[in-house]
Parts: sequence; C-alpha cells; structure tokens
Amino acid sequence: MGRSLKKGPYVVERLLEKVYRADQTGNRDPIKTWARACTIVPEFIGKNFAIHNGRNFIKLYVTEDMVGHKLGEFAPTRTFRGHGGKGGKSPAKK
Amino acid sequence: MPRILGVDIPNDKRTVISLRYIYGIGPFLSNQLCERTGIDPNKRARDLTEDDLAKLAALLDNEYVVEGQLRRQVQQSISRLRDIGCYRGLRHRKGLPVHGQRTRTNARTRKGPRKTVAGKKGVKEMR
Repeated sequence: MGRSLKKGPYVVERLLEKVYRADQTGNRDPIKTWARACTIVPEFIGKNFAIHNGRNFIKLYVTEDMVGHKLGEFAPTRTFRGHGGKGGKSPAKK
Repeated sequence: MPRILGVDIPNDKRTVISLRYIYGIGPFLSNQLCERTGIDPNKRARDLTEDDLAKLAALLDNEYVVEGQLRRQVQQSISRLRDIGCYRGLRHRKGLPVHGQRTRTNARTRKGPRKTVAGKKGVKEMR
C-alpha cells in the first residue's frame, strides 16, 4: 500500500550511513540491523545485511530486484512446523 | 460474432459490455475505448463495422496491455516475488493468501478444497 510520495521512501538514516561507511572502507561484513521497516534503496545493492527476525539475524545479499521492498520482508518472523504428528515434526524446510 | 485480437468473440450484448470479455478490460477501460474510438457504447457488438473493429484492435494493440501479454506480465511479477524470497513470494510459493488475510478459517480460494484431518474435532481434544 502506498506511502505519500511527498515523504519519500522510509529509510533509516543511520543504516544508510553505515552502508556508505562500508563502501568507503571496503568492509564486506554483513551489516547487522534491527531496522526491518527500512526500505531497500539502490545504495543497498550488493551489500550483505543481517536482519533481525526477533530471535536471530537472517543473512541477506541484496540484489537489484529487491529495491523498494522492506528489509523485514526477507527475514521471516514465524516458523511453521506443520500440523499434528507426535511431538512436533522437524522444522519445515525453508 | 465479431472477433477482436484473434481469440475473443464477444457476443451480441452492448459494445461496452462485450468488450469486457477481453482479459484485462473492465468497466473503466471499456468506456474509455468506446470514447476514444468514437463508437456508440450502446450499439450491439454484432452491429460493429469492420472499420470499428479495426480501430479497436489497433488501439488495443498499440496502447493497452491485454490478454496474453497481460497474463505474462502478471506471471512475471509473481515469479519475481518468488525468486527474491520476500514474504509475499513465500506466500505465493505455499499457496496461501498474500495480503495478510486470516488463514485459521476461510482462505479457501488460495488453499483449495478442504483437507479434513482425522481425529481433530475441537481444540480441547488436541491435548
């Protein structure tokens, strides 16, 4: 659903700064972040992120197709282990 | 019956209505098409002249995305979502509703016919 164009995309400034800094220093380590609501902007392409899902950090390599989505869309917060069975099955394959 | 864009054979309803039998044309576009080609929207489709049909076909061909092309576009958008592994893509992969609807009940369009689980009556009997 749309966000007002006047406001522009929601980008967490501090995260963007981190991306720039990684660019300058050539640091390829994943950028750890909790900012799931942050929109992926073209500057993020080719960067590694580690996005918090409430428990772990999910690694994500950002490609061009992902621009315009939010970081959180790529780090699922729920694990569905299937219905029924005895004592819960092994985690569903991802 | 007149044919537009090869396959579509709208019947002998009013032009505005029969145009909507083409995939990708709804009430709005149908009206717009009639206006732009100068065809009386109340004219029956069977009364359309060759000239009218040619005009419609040319307009649709050049400026609108309909039928096969549109279907392909939709499929591409979906496969993009699947490929990048975002939440919406995962929902498409699993055949569950994509826009955050409830799945405890309903959602039958996406999930298909009910698959009844034996021995599952109520919440109490689960333990």
